[in-house]
Amino acid sequence: MSSDYLTNQVRRLRFENGQMTQQQLADKVGVTRQTIIAIEAGKYAPSLPLAFKLARTFEVPIEQVFQYEDQEI
Amino acid sequence: MNRLQKKAWINFAAVTACVVLAGMGLGILVHTNAKGIDTLLIGMVPGFVVGLVVYVRSVAGQARLDEREKAIARRSYVWACYSLILFWACISFGIFFIAGGKSAVPAYTLPVVFLTGLFLAQFVESAAILIQFAREAVDE
Repeated sequence: MSSDYLTNQVRRLRFENGQMTQQQLADKVGVTRQTIIAIEAGKYAPSLPLAFKLARTFEVPIEQVFQYEDQEI
Repeated sequence: MNRLQKKAWINFAAVTACVVLAGMGLGILVHTNAKGIDTLLIGMVPGFVVGLVVYVRSVAGQARLDEREKAIARRSYVWACYSLILFWACISFGIFFIAGGKSAVPAYTLPVVFLTGLFLAQFVESAAILIQFAREAVDE
């Protein structure tokens, strides 16, 4: 499920953490490489546990990994 | 192609094969004018056993899916249930309105409708899985 308001820095953080590959990151957080690809492309919004696992893998706060654009109605 | 996509393609092939075999079997039963529930059950017992084994393995296999694959599988299952209910509703009321309230339909209509509904649901589930993966596909 994609989210128009959710953006992420997973790809950038992955490169900044020792040029980690998508497969390596997927293995660390317990998902498939396709899921990491979908997250980076904004095609899939991860669950909270997965979002926290990603943040802890990169050793940064979760807000530095995922950003939510709150649009006014 | 991941495990769930492979399962969807295999189900497509299995549904097609089962439709052909079931159609042939039912055709034989109708042609021989087989009577009695025991004849139908003899034909359906192998199908149920195979289906049960496949279902148990499928449920056990879902434990190895990641959260995105589980979400896709769950949505596909819901779509399959919707299609099943819609199909049975259309057939049930369609026969009533077309044939009339006091008309009679052949007895083999009921198992045909039941099995067709199950096959349709499996077909829709597999298609929904593949379509969702295709929609989320990006250049890798």
